[in-house]
Amino acid sequence: MSARIGVYVCECGPNIPDRIDIDRVLEEISPLKDVAVAKRYRLLCSNDGKKYLADEIRSEKLTHLVVAACSPRDHEKTFMKVCLEAGLNPFLFQMVNIREQCAWIFSEKSEATRMAVKYIRAGISRVTLHEPLLQKEIKATPDVLVVGGGIAGVETALSLAGQKRRVYLVERSDALGGTAARLGRLLPHQGTDMRLIQEKIEHAENNENISVFKGCEVEDIRGFLGNFEVSLKRSGGEPPPEMFRVGAVVVATGFALWDAFDPDVTGYGKIDDVVTSLEFEAMSASGKILKKNGSPPRSVALIHCVGRKEKGYCSKVCCLYSLKFAHQLKDSQPAPDVFEFYSDLCLPEKTDQDVFEEAKKRGVRFLRADDIRVEGRNGKIRIAYRDGSAEEAVEVEMAVLAPAMVPAPDSDRLARMLNIPLDETGFFKEAHSMLDPVSAPISGIYIAGCASGPKSIPESVVQAQAASGKILSVLMLGKTLEPEVKVSTIKEELCTGCQTCLNVCFYGAISFDAFRGVSVVNEAICRGCGSCVGSCPSGAISSKQFTYQQLFKEVMEALR
Amino acid sequence: MKNESVLILGAGVAGMEASLLLAAAGRKVHLVEKEPMIGGQLIKFEEVYPHMECSTCMVAPQQQAVLQNGNIEIHYLSALEKLEGSAGAFKASVKKKARYVSLANCIGCGACYDPCPVSLENEFEEGLAAARKAIAVPCAGALPNVPAIDPRHCLFLNGKDTQCRACKDACVFDAVQFEDKDETAVLDVGAVVVATGFGLLDVKQNPQYGYGEGKNVYTALEFERLFASNGPTGGNLTLRNGQTPKTVGIVHCVGRSELGYCSGVCCMYSVKFSRFLKHKLPDVRIREFHTDLCVPGKAYQKFFEKTRSEGVEFVRAETVKIASKESRLQVLYQNGGRGEEVFEADMVILSPAMIPAAGAKELAEVLGIKLDAKGFFAGRPGSLSPVETPVEGIFVIGCAEGPKDIPESVAQAAAAVGKILSLIPHEAN
Ligand SMILES: Cc1cc2nc3c(=O)[nH]c(=O)nc-3n(C[C@H](O)[C@H](O)[C@H](O)COP(=O)(O)OP(=O)(O)OC[C@H]3O[C@@H](n4cnc5c(N)ncnc54)[C@H](O)[C@@H]3O)c2cc1C
Ligand SMILES: Cc1cc2nc3c(=O)[nH]c(=O)nc-3n(C[C@H](O)[C@H](O)[C@H](O)COP(=O)(O)OP(=O)(O)OC[C@H]3O[C@@H](n4cnc5c(N)ncnc54)[C@H](O)[C@@H]3O)c2cc1C
Ligand code: SF4
Ligand code: SF4
Repeated sequence: MSARIGVYVCECGPNIPDRIDIDRVLEEISPLKDVAVAKRYRLLCSNDGKKYLADEIRSEKLTHLVVAACSPRDHEKTFMKVCLEAGLNPFLFQMVNIREQCAWIFSEKSEATRMAVKYIRAGISRVTLHEPLLQKEIKATPDVLVVGGGIAGVETALSLAGQKRRVYLVERSDALGGTAARLGRLLPHQGTDMRLIQEKIEHAENNENISVFKGCEVEDIRGFLGNFEVSLKRSGGEPPPEMFRVGAVVVATGFALWDAFDPDVTGYGKIDDVVTSLEFEAMSASGKILKKNGSPPRSVALIHCVGRKEKGYCSKVCCLYSLKFAHQLKDSQPAPDVFEFYSDLCLPEKTDQDVFEEAKKRGVRFLRADDIRVEGRNGKIRIAYRDGSAEEAVEVEMAVLAPAMVPAPDSDRLARMLNIPLDETGFFKEAHSMLDPVSAPISGIYIAGCASGPKSIPESVVQAQAASGKILSVLMLGKTLEPEVKVSTIKEELCTGCQTCLNVCFYGAISFDAFRGVSVVNEAICRGCGSCVGSCPSGAISSKQFTYQQLFKEVMEALR
Repeated sequence: MKNESVLILGAGVAGMEASLLLAAAGRKVHLVEKEPMIGGQLIKFEEVYPHMECSTCMVAPQQQAVLQNGNIEIHYLSALEKLEGSAGAFKASVKKKARYVSLANCIGCGACYDPCPVSLENEFEEGLAAARKAIAVPCAGALPNVPAIDPRHCLFLNGKDTQCRACKDACVFDAVQFEDKDETAVLDVGAVVVATGFGLLDVKQNPQYGYGEGKNVYTALEFERLFASNGPTGGNLTLRNGQTPKTVGIVHCVGRSELGYCSGVCCMYSVKFSRFLKHKLPDVRIREFHTDLCVPGKAYQKFFEKTRSEGVEFVRAETVKIASKESRLQVLYQNGGRGEEVFEADMVILSPAMIPAAGAKELAEVLGIKLDAKGFFAGRPGSLSPVETPVEGIFVIGCAEGPKDIPESVAQAAAAVGKILSLIPHEAN
């Protein structure tokens, strides 16, 4: 059957006819090969217009449709829907923008008309080369793997688990809760709120729809959104628990504290009673904040920003938890002198400053300090620092270091296994740091909590709920997934196996088939961005709906 | 049976994200927005930190997706008037003001603006712009690109000229409909999400900042519009007399000590302003006056350091005052141990504290929720997640909960969706 192309020029009210001689355009277009009809209409996007177009497609038995109107951003989807309703494959349609690209930019009517003809000819020449692409459907597993059982992982599991959705919660250590469970107190909620964390952990442990694997790590993972195969390994080499299939993965591996600090500068490991913040939390949790000799400290220095310079970022929560320590110390009887050595106080949450003001009222001394050195002197600790140009020093009995938060150990191994990137700080990289902070670049993989950078507990919990929200809106029970249609394909006979495209694809959609020596696109992952097409030195990759032939014909007609 | 529909108040970046995710999950969303357009504050910005991405390009696809989504019903020019019932079965009365222009018929050609005889100040442009008409879109590029008639000023609607039909006559699409009436919609929903955003502290209240008519002292939002290529000057950074500024002072933390909290994002956007300025005026001298620099998280300090390395001066300043000296401005401040210093500037930009959106108090009353001490909506005491308010089934996201930047606003939006989808699962499940 030969092609029957229908070309419809929308007037868009006065917008187009004021500046383009539409009758002239139709005269030029009508005689072209395969053009069955060429007509004008007042407003195709109106309800009457859509109905008219659908009737035309049916009555004229059109095989292809070209609409010359506004920007495809405005109404491409509208007309694709019309095609679908009229029984024409929506990919056999091409939109030509003669409003923004002709009518609104040329001052001469003749020029705008001439260009409109060219663009429409270009559209016609490409549309006959279009393939009737089909929307695929992929079956998906609703179950989810959560890697890391800190507060972010636990909250994710609790928000997702349900009667028909199992969550596999994999924790490397032998306990759930991560750092949050090891704290003595919680800010911004003062007092006994540690109960909240414990309750969450218990709920996760007792939830019949959550399978908790403690002392385990992910051994291998393959697949894509809706269908990942996971195998675990147990530390200590015991037999791996099982293999299972999930539809999505949440990375909630948290953080570690930077520990590469110089003992000569910080005194850590060299001078008694110089401890890290987490060691202080452990003392606080046990209820005994004591020096090595068993007596309570009469003066304590809290040193912020340890490693901030080296790491090149601010860890966001250290100021707040140092304030928490100050309050806690001031709660004890007799209350010790407390000195906070800080660079800039970072108190970005709306209640943080109250905690600071309160600490000031309780006599905590705040010292803005550079070049801090912790020295041992006659059994005391001397904190030497610079305040502007002056050299100063304070003697204390205990010093608490607040080291920078850094990525959890082995994050790079997990990243490689999942084929997702880390950023220059070593934390997991977000799909879009502004608009999509809880997704990894690969569909089906999400990031929550400190795995993507330093955060407080409330923020980590929000991210856990956010990742759950994203998953629940994608992996709906009883629904199939509809992947991108305009994907890339690689011609095996042309592919030399150079693997350039593997590195170019931001979404990790391309893998290398070592057996056949060629690269392969996974159509379930590909988003059709086209980056790989341009990168392939052999021209082996083409993108559906943007083939070389289509583009060539289109450009040639536009230039002719 | 629980109602699966959701009411979202506010169509900023947070409200739009929540709407899209819920709609993707098959939920019916009622998105209530007080303006005739969607997008919130972000559509005022040229670029956003830290990657200096074009802001409108970033949100336009999101706005389009909201407009084109069949599950999202947008109620423009609307406000929640009454809420009854409880989680899973709320009854919401939404008061919708008439737009007087048909969303179905209007194609946004703009033919109606010129004929309109009324000229008004344009609020969207922070008063910087030339006038707008009584029939107008709030800003260039507004989405949806459909004007609304301001009934207070339209001569026909306010009765001053019963003959004026200028816009109606100009419209060939028959989109102007004077017969539109305000109406009240009663909606059944299972959950409510508050996403009403923030406002900025009114600097006029405090003479210390030297803000006043005709002066080259700008608020942060004014400066955003001044820099925006779709703004009143087409992005030309000029003083009120048309000259190019050679020295600029940027004052952080305006109102922080009075209000008792740090707004978390002003340091970053102030540094962004220096980037803007350096980009367009490479020789400009800039001094930023800050208290504590707040550049939290893994990416922000680098942004600050890079800006400083381009020659922007950062000084720690207390008790900042702005005074006029002839045609120029003076920034007087205490510089720690060094005592009082003075910086002469052609232009001063104030970064005022972020405060609750206008009307937050009234809205809280309608919702039956207590605001926190600072006037923001807040999470339930005893919950680790700030998006869960004390009233079950009502959530708060974005800057309505407190000052924050885009990623945190968006994360809270998705978090509320996570809670809603898990608390009110689809009945067929
Ligand atoms: C000293 C200190 C005090 C703090 N005090 C407060 C406070 O008062 N208030 C507050 O809001 N925040 C506070 N914070 C911050 C808070 O600890 C974090 O926000 C929170 O712990 C982040 O939770 P998470 O789940 O993202 O990470 P984590 O707590 O780090 O948990 C991650 C979990 O993942 C596991 N894991 C890592 N890698 C793997 C892997 N490959 N496979 C399997 N499992 C893995 C880890 O073993 C760990 O259990 C404090 C932080 C510190 C350091
Ligand atoms: C000068 C400035 C520059 C900034 N620059 C950046 C930046 O570069 N990068 C960054 O990450 N962040 C930046 N921010 C922060 C950013 O603006 C916010 O994070 C973001 O706008 C929050 O989105 P939101 O949806 O919560 O609120 P908003 O954007 O304020 O949206 C709220 C919406 O609700 C509507 N509304 C209000 N009240 C009601 C009501 N009662 N009923 C119905 N609707 C209502 C409003 O009309 C609006 O559409 C900046 C802020 C300022 C002030
Ligand atoms: S088109 Fe884009 S997403 Fe698809 S394989 Fe190529 S680079 Fe990857
Ligand atoms: S109301 Fe009519 S004239 Fe005005 S923009 Fe809409 S379509 Fe154009």
